[in-house]
Amino acid sequence: MKVKNRQAIILIFFLLSQIALNLPLLSQERFRRTPPIPEPFPTLQLPEIQQTSLYNGLTLWVVPKNDLPIISLKIIVFAGESFSPENLPGLATLTAHSISRGVSDFSSSEIEEKIEFIGGDFSAEIYPEYSLFSFTFLEEYFDEALNLLSRMLIEPTFIRREIDSVRTAVYYDLLEKNSDPDFFVKRLLLQALFTNHAYKKSTFNEDGLRNITQKDIVSFFDNHYRPNNTHIVFAGNLNFNTIFREARRFFNRWQRGESNHSALPSPEPQEEMKVCFIETPGAKDATIYMGNIIMPATNPNIFPLIVMNQVLGGTPNSRLFMNLRESKQYAYNAFSEIEFFKSCSVFSIHARVRPEVVESSIMEIFNDINLITDKKIPSFDIEQAKSYLIGNFPLQIETYDDLTSKVAEHKALGLEDEHWNKYYENIMLINSEKVFELAKKLPLKTPVIVVAGDGNIVLNQFGAFIKEVDIYNKKGIYLGTYKFD
Amino acid sequence: MNEVLNFKTKLLILCLILSFLGGSVHVPAQEKKDFPFPYTQYKFNNGLHVILSEDYSLPIVSVVMAYRVGSINEEPGKTGLAYLMENLMFLGSENVERMQHISIIHKVGGEFNAATSEDRTIFYQRIPSNQLTQVLWLESDRMKSLQIDESNVKQVKLDILEEISLRKARDPYLESSWRFDRLLYGNFAFGHPVIGSEDDLRNLTVQDVKDFYNRFYIPNNAVLSIVGNFDRKKALADIQKYFETIPPGEPIPPVPLPKSPEKKSIVESIQAPLAQSPGFHLGYRLPSPASEDFYVLSIIEYILLRGMSSRLHKRLFKREKLVLELNGGIEKRQDQTRLKIFVVNNNQYMVQRCKKAIFSELHKLKTNFISEEELNKVKNMFRKDYINQYTTSLPKALFLAESFLSRNILLNPAEELEKYMAITPKDIIGVTYRYFGVESVILDVKTK
Repeated sequence: MKVKNRQAIILIFFLLSQIALNLPLLSQERFRRTPPIPEPFPTLQLPEIQQTSLYNGLTLWVVPKNDLPIISLKIIVFAGESFSPENLPGLATLTAHSISRGVSDFSSSEIEEKIEFIGGDFSAEIYPEYSLFSFTFLEEYFDEALNLLSRMLIEPTFIRREIDSVRTAVYYDLLEKNSDPDFFVKRLLLQALFTNHAYKKSTFNEDGLRNITQKDIVSFFDNHYRPNNTHIVFAGNLNFNTIFREARRFFNRWQRGESNHSALPSPEPQEEMKVCFIETPGAKDATIYMGNIIMPATNPNIFPLIVMNQVLGGTPNSRLFMNLRESKQYAYNAFSEIEFFKSCSVFSIHARVRPEVVESSIMEIFNDINLITDKKIPSFDIEQAKSYLIGNFPLQIETYDDLTSKVAEHKALGLEDEHWNKYYENIMLINSEKVFELAKKLPLKTPVIVVAGDGNIVLNQFGAFIKEVDIYNKKGIYLGTYKFD
Repeated sequence: MNEVLNFKTKLLILCLILSFLGGSVHVPAQEKKDFPFPYTQYKFNNGLHVILSEDYSLPIVSVVMAYRVGSINEEPGKTGLAYLMENLMFLGSENVERMQHISIIHKVGGEFNAATSEDRTIFYQRIPSNQLTQVLWLESDRMKSLQIDESNVKQVKLDILEEISLRKARDPYLESSWRFDRLLYGNFAFGHPVIGSEDDLRNLTVQDVKDFYNRFYIPNNAVLSIVGNFDRKKALADIQKYFETIPPGEPIPPVPLPKSPEKKSIVESIQAPLAQSPGFHLGYRLPSPASEDFYVLSIIEYILLRGMSSRLHKRLFKREKLVLELNGGIEKRQDQTRLKIFVVNNNQYMVQRCKKAIFSELHKLKTNFISEEELNKVKNMFRKDYINQYTTSLPKALFLAESFLSRNILLNPAEELEKYMAITPKDIIGVTYRYFGVESVILDVKTK
């Protein structure tokens, strides 16, 4: 009996221990079943941006960042393609790429060597209103870097051999991009939207490059590469006074120029729907871009617009992607975007779809547009879009290069400080009503639509919703108009 | 007897108490506070290695879950499994629906990606810091209970087959690079392509995929690194909650290394029917990354190939205008390393001249001391790239995970950098002599 009792005790302990051992597993299965609830979003402390100017008008912006021995610079020269003469498209581009190809006493190769010696990278991007130079290097070579940069900005030699080499590189780059439908379809969209506006000049193709001479480049440089037409953004472990002192040392001799950069007028939005088609025989997919001109980024309504874009097509979770790809299975992808210029913005939607469903895809895109212009977006969707925008913002400024790029974009577009300091607050204030009020006013239903695809499959589909289609080649050259009976 | 029973009972009670308390015990932390950033390592009971590094500059966290598995773990006839698994990991698990992983990351403004190489598979996400627990939930669920069924496997196989045909259409030299890898590594495990062969992919069964998953995607074959703005105590508690009850798998034996190559050069050729221009692949077998010579070889890579002012760029592109395309560098596949150079030329005559020019540059490295100025330039370029590994949370998390996977220990980055910076012109001559002899592997790529 005593033994039996002992056995019973052991059995009870055994059972208890098994239950105890398995309890965590059982409860784990419960907590694994649903996603955990996120904690509140932490506060974001943005670095304070300090500003000063040299007497010659060169503007300096300083963003303190001190975790690595690297310095990142962005140089904004308001000399984009809009300032190229009508007959010399690509002049701003060739000029920007040529400034690092030789100065008074260093050849192009010597400059390359010097940049690499300081652990540096130097590159140029050309936008309609400005050319943007990026320069990153090891912090102990700050003096050497500013010395080299000042010489490239003040005394480039523009020798013919180097200009020809730049021209060839730009030519082949554009030629290569002609195999990318996203590039040539978007270019034609901007070309069509900016008809009769200076921004159109940024949509140039490779054909005009051969007409640009050394004299044109020197003249363009002399007119536009001036300190009072330039901003430099610095990020790194830098003392504001040191930057001011060193900038003065290297850039004081840069002569101020005539200021002839009055703001360009805002282009008018497209008032009637228009369709352009680019034939790409045998293409497996069709590429659709459709868009229109809207207000510039300085407009107070920019924050509802950013939220609206997010709901409609900002990410793969947005409506366009979910509808065209996941639900209808028409598209490989479908997104919307806002491209900012100083005088306006372009709101566009793009999708890569199966060629046989181009018309259905365009109709679905219009359905999604109607859903935001004709009725309020539910608050849940608005809050989800805001959550993305707020969560994603710090990701856009994490690297030195990202940070200076963001600041440079703000300064180049002439945005107020609240676009930087109060981004979160401005996004948080947006609700369904504000987005609805804005969406109703936007010219989203009269876009320019550009499609590239196999004409045998695609072209006749347009007859379902429009009477004529303008036909272009990949370079953006008009070939004729196709009319439907 | 009574005493014995009492002892057993006491033992049982003790075990019971320990089962409540001891489930969460993990190996104490190893903390490093050195440059360039501090980190702490933990080993969990199921073998999961965890590396944490706090950085409060922005409300961002990067999470890297890396598994020590890649194409080298595949068997003949079953290639492409590792890459297939990478894709499958986004198609749902027991508690996470198909595409829910992607959807959650996107909704909160985060970013994600994955990569499979010959010896590792890495999943990573950069997210707002308040979403860390969500990501741990997602990662743990796909480690614990991935959804592997006929429909998921079929869909991923179709996607990869499409990807292979697209890659072949876009890159006329792709198949030549696969052939070159087989020659250069001289072994199936190390020399076959990560994406797998089309025939093997078609023949893979659901059971093959399940077996591969159960064998390799286990906590004792993984490292979790988290860098960013988080509370360490809370993160550890969450990692424990979501990962520690995932049982470990069987220990994985190391993949047999290729036999030591014969000291001879290999020259072969291949037709690339879609290529417009001829070219060639050139390769050299190098020592293990753990070797002291590897530091010098990394600097030699910069002298020859990195930047527009590197020796081969200057000579082949600018001075002699011999090449249309030039790529190359040192490649690591577990303990195997190779220097690979790929060149596209205008015609066959240029191919021959180009080879001579490359051999002549290697010869110069053996016979002439590099100038102090050039060596300083190369070291500065190397240092900048090295520092760039620590610019933000994601590169840091990747660096920590990859460093651990490479050697099972984390080397001190500052001390490592010192070793590169201490290299002398004499070291370069010595190492070039040792590894750049006549035992090269060349694959000529011919056009029709």
